[in-house]
Amino acid sequence: MKVSYFETARYRAPRSLPVEWPVPPDAYDREAGTESYRGMIERMQFVEELGFDWISVAEHHYSPNRLTPNPVVSAAHLAAYARKITIAVLGPIVSQSNPVKVAEELAMLDNMLPGRLVVGMLRGITGEYLTYGLNPAEARERTTEAMELVLKAWTEPQPFGWQGRHFQFRTVAVWPRPRQQPHPPTYALGTSRESCEFAARHHLGLGVSYAPFDIIAKATRYYRERCAEHGWQPTPEQIIYRANILIGETDAEAEELRAAQRRARQAFPLSEGVRDALLQLDIRNVAGEARTPNVGGVLPTNFVGAPDTIIEQIKRCREQSGAGVLDLMFQIPGSNDLSFLMRSLELFGKKVLPHIREV
Amino acid sequence: MTQAGEAFREGYVETDGFRIRYMEAGKGPAVVHLHGAGGLRLTRGHDLLSRQFRIIAFEMPGFGTSPENNRTRDLPELAATMAKAVAALGLDQFNLMGTSFGGKTALWLAAQHPEQVRSLVLEAPAAIRPAGSEPPAGSPEEMARRLYAHPERVPPMPPPDPAVREKQARLVARLRGPDRDPELEARLQRLAVPTLVLFGTVDRVIPPNMGHFYKELMPNCNLVFVYDAGHAISTDRPEAFAEVVADFIERREAFVISRTETVIHP
Repeated sequence: MKVSYFETARYRAPRSLPVEWPVPPDAYDREAGTESYRGMIERMQFVEELGFDWISVAEHHYSPNRLTPNPVVSAAHLAAYARKITIAVLGPIVSQSNPVKVAEELAMLDNMLPGRLVVGMLRGITGEYLTYGLNPAEARERTTEAMELVLKAWTEPQPFGWQGRHFQFRTVAVWPRPRQQPHPPTYALGTSRESCEFAARHHLGLGVSYAPFDIIAKATRYYRERCAEHGWQPTPEQIIYRANILIGETDAEAEELRAAQRRARQAFPLSEGVRDALLQLDIRNVAGEARTPNVGGVLPTNFVGAPDTIIEQIKRCREQSGAGVLDLMFQIPGSNDLSFLMRSLELFGKKVLPHIREV
Repeated sequence: MTQAGEAFREGYVETDGFRIRYMEAGKGPAVVHLHGAGGLRLTRGHDLLSRQFRIIAFEMPGFGTSPENNRTRDLPELAATMAKAVAALGLDQFNLMGTSFGGKTALWLAAQHPEQVRSLVLEAPAAIRPAGSEPPAGSPEEMARRLYAHPERVPPMPPPDPAVREKQARLVARLRGPDRDPELEARLQRLAVPTLVLFGTVDRVIPPNMGHFYKELMPNCNLVFVYDAGHAISTDRPEAFAEVVADFIERREAFVISRTETVIHP
């Protein structure tokens, strides 16, 4: 089992912040912001020492909850200080980006981090559609086309044009080319039928997130079936599971923390009118079965307990889902106390990590 | 929706001892089209291009309703016949478009008469093929699966006349030439006609990764992938096909310069 630490550039607001997304920029504190980005490096160096395999970054907008609107900038910042850890860009929201620019930026990173970049591409959570004015009805198709164009831009030996449905370019000729050939290890992120089929068709990995093990298992089973149809099988490392984790010295402590977490607020709360309208428009599925989109909701925490309990949960997760990479979002219940985060990382690194290598 | 090609009128031209049928529509600069191994089939792509150009789609001798062609020995000879057919229509300058097998024929024609060809458009050309590739054959359903990205969206073709199909298959087998033809490729290296090569990203007849070979060989070649189109690009995505083809015929190499306007209030 490989383990990835999900780094979100934790922002510690000196005063209480408005709740609703988008959060007004005038609430931003510059000193706290600078500290957020400095903290990324500190935590990366810490998990690198503890033996974590990857550090991952994501793309989210207009909120202090994730101060990472550009995951490639985050990754480049980390890359300058990384010694041995792999950086996982999970991932650019390709539905709302220029796919050629995404291909270029990731190819740059791939050359800066020889052999130590992995990439995920995704549609983005429902609320992100508002960031750059993306029509929810087009989001899925744009994602598929954008992913296809990124792969083409990385692999095509000659300049080419792209006459897409959503993207049109007359000239694409990406420099630098990716250092890893044909391209860095790449994952389609999501549990949907479309993500699974795209990943299977292009021999990519699959990244799934937050849902309970049995739901995840449904998606990974579907993915493996589609891969078999295309004549191949993914390795465990080609399935990433991103999940929340709450680790304590004892189970009782962790349970207490979980109670505190229940009072925590949602990550990206939207006003009711916008949320309800988005829920109507955003159509999502797990392996083809309809599911309700998560709009501004609280995500479940599926690993909770003392180290021994977590080891058992990880074994069960592996058995059920087949995921060979855990991408962990360490929870700080009830506060934004970064020393708690460092203790959690240390506890995991020393008491869990050595025991799950062979899982 | 009206049937594809409804506005086209039939004509004939006598050349080289053949009576060659063609379908024509539209006004403007002439675009001569040479069809693929399945014969002449007008598409929505033809309709869209005929709004801006005079489209002349030939039925090459030995295809469709014409008698079996046992006379033409190879593709250079077929190309020479088609060049005469174009000349018989009084065209000394024209744009040339070829589909698949017709793409290879068009390349020979352009190599023989570079001064007459203003621009060359190759739709999924079959001039460079992976070793051992075969032209699509089989039942209409099997053909549709090979030709189209989404066969379920294409109205079923009328069942082909087996005699016509076999006559065409014999001719194509005889004329199609090697998968890589050193003689043609040597000519291509000197062919400076502005060329647009199109491949659908889900072409199941000629893999789209054959596209870069044209770009590497030809001095003035542009390669464009049409996303989510199969081998029959102009049927799968007629608007996307016609937009890029029309832009290229109009502006040739300069089609890489964007004319898209983004202002709301000019």
